[in-house]
Amino acid sequence: MTHTKKTIFSWLCLSPLIIVILFPFAVMISTSIKPRAEILTFPPVWLPKTIRLQNFVDMWQAVGFGRALVNSMLVSSSATILCLLIAVPAAYATAWTRFRGKRLFRQFLLITQMLSPVVLVLGIFRLMATLGLVDQLWALVLAYAAFNLAFAIWMLQAYFGTIPKELEEAARLDGASTVQRLRMVLLPLAAPALGVTGIFVFLYCWNEFVLALTLLRSTPKFTLTLQIFSLVGGRYSIEWDHVMAATLLASAPVAIVFAGLQRHLVRGLALGGVK
Amino acid sequence: MHEPAVRSSVTSSEQLSRRAAPYLLVLPSIILAFWIIGYPILDVANMSLHAVNRFGQVKGFAGFENFSRLVTAPLFFGCLLRTLIWTVCVVGGTVILAMPIALILNENFGGRRIARIIIMLPWAVSLTMSGIVWRWALDGQSGMVNATLFGFGIIHQPIAWLATAGTAFPVEIAIGILVSIPFSVTVYLGGLSSFPEEILEAAKIDGASAWQQWRYLTLPLLRPFINIVLVLNTIYVFNSFPLIWVMTQGDPANSTDIFVTWLYKLAFRYGQLDIAAALSIVMFLVLLSFTIIYSALAMREEKEAVESTGASAPA
Repeated sequence: MTHTKKTIFSWLCLSPLIIVILFPFAVMISTSIKPRAEILTFPPVWLPKTIRLQNFVDMWQAVGFGRALVNSMLVSSSATILCLLIAVPAAYATAWTRFRGKRLFRQFLLITQMLSPVVLVLGIFRLMATLGLVDQLWALVLAYAAFNLAFAIWMLQAYFGTIPKELEEAARLDGASTVQRLRMVLLPLAAPALGVTGIFVFLYCWNEFVLALTLLRSTPKFTLTLQIFSLVGGRYSIEWDHVMAATLLASAPVAIVFAGLQRHLVRGLALGGVK
Repeated sequence: MHEPAVRSSVTSSEQLSRRAAPYLLVLPSIILAFWIIGYPILDVANMSLHAVNRFGQVKGFAGFENFSRLVTAPLFFGCLLRTLIWTVCVVGGTVILAMPIALILNENFGGRRIARIIIMLPWAVSLTMSGIVWRWALDGQSGMVNATLFGFGIIHQPIAWLATAGTAFPVEIAIGILVSIPFSVTVYLGGLSSFPEEILEAAKIDGASAWQQWRYLTLPLLRPFINIVLVLNTIYVFNSFPLIWVMTQGDPANSTDIFVTWLYKLAFRYGQLDIAAALSIVMFLVLLSFTIIYSALAMREEKEAVESTGASAPA
């Protein structure tokens, strides 16, 4: 088969899936630029007679998009930082030191990794209630950090394992303390792994639904995902132009960043995840 | 004891701190995980064995009564069945569909990078957002799915996909497959790129057909990666909440309820905290058994890898 033939054949085979993948994006764009009068017509059309970008401005105010965006940013970045702060020393210990109970620790990590928050949501809600953290963003920060811990430690220790041990040995002979070795030898070398792990943790927090749905009660505290869900959940009439503008604005930046970094992310994941 | 001689001058307190260091380093992670994940497990387990009122106050010991009430609840059997169908169909569909896609993406063709980026897109979009957009796209009156099928003459009257008991669940399964494909393709691609080129070349020279190559070479070599995809997807899909919750909340008439959505309703809508706790524990045990299968598989592979490298080392 020539290269051109192969190209045509491959795209032809992939086309059904590609259409189904791009379909929701087309729906988001189409609905978000329609004037409200054209949305509930039957049969619906892809391109509206008039393009109305004002929808985005209206939506921003009506939905409280900005506030929810700030909440999501705050929660996701705090949880990511907390998770990495705790995961780095643990990954260092499991990758580079010997200690009794290491196997047990790894098994323990595996189990926490397999548990999804949904299964424990009742228990987590009760815990947060006793801590007085219901309807506090802090509750989400703690829970997200905890549920990503196993993944982060797993990824980081796989990466730490690839760094030559002699480097650490040399630093130790030079009299560097454990903390110094961690900070001055390991972390600069592990920066890419920290980046990849951090992005995946951030993405998880950004997209998380069940815990936000359960732990947040009042609208000013809602994260972006929950805020947008609240526009369709349990409403009698749904303003789909606003909803689609909001989903587009919430998912497009993430999708673009993900697409741009995709090769690094997939390689990083392959190193830590599948091992 | 294995430390070099230089180290003998080190004082005992430093030695102690060296021995304690690993534990101090893992301690924060253990505390956080036990606090946020371990304690809720114990709490829920405790609730599942006691009578609990709707305000969450734990009363007298009830033995396994909550479990028997769970199993005899009218919705239990239907939810069990749908959880099985949901998990088997989504995981099976994903594992099978992701294979040809990964094989194509592994080939060198024009625009491969763009194709890869498109196929991975659903991964970057949250399940909640996907669910919301599909719910609108599948709308009976103004949804673009109906409009498109209309345009091609496939259907002749609008279908309320998510409001009809017969179509809602199959549609959700299809979307479940769609959003699970990127991860599975990624794992397969990782596997395919790890194959030694020479083997495939040799097979080609020997005149093996594409089917033979796949059946006798690619498939056996991919087996460990298929296992990983199978087990991890089973765990994700079994736990999958947002898609169904956003699209139908288990309706119409509980026809799309699976264990996770029923659990959520029991706990936060019906106020039957004791039965919810029992269901949580049942699901926890199911997940635990998946985990054990997964770690057994992972360990067997590690062992095989060690054995194969060990065997080839002297040669």
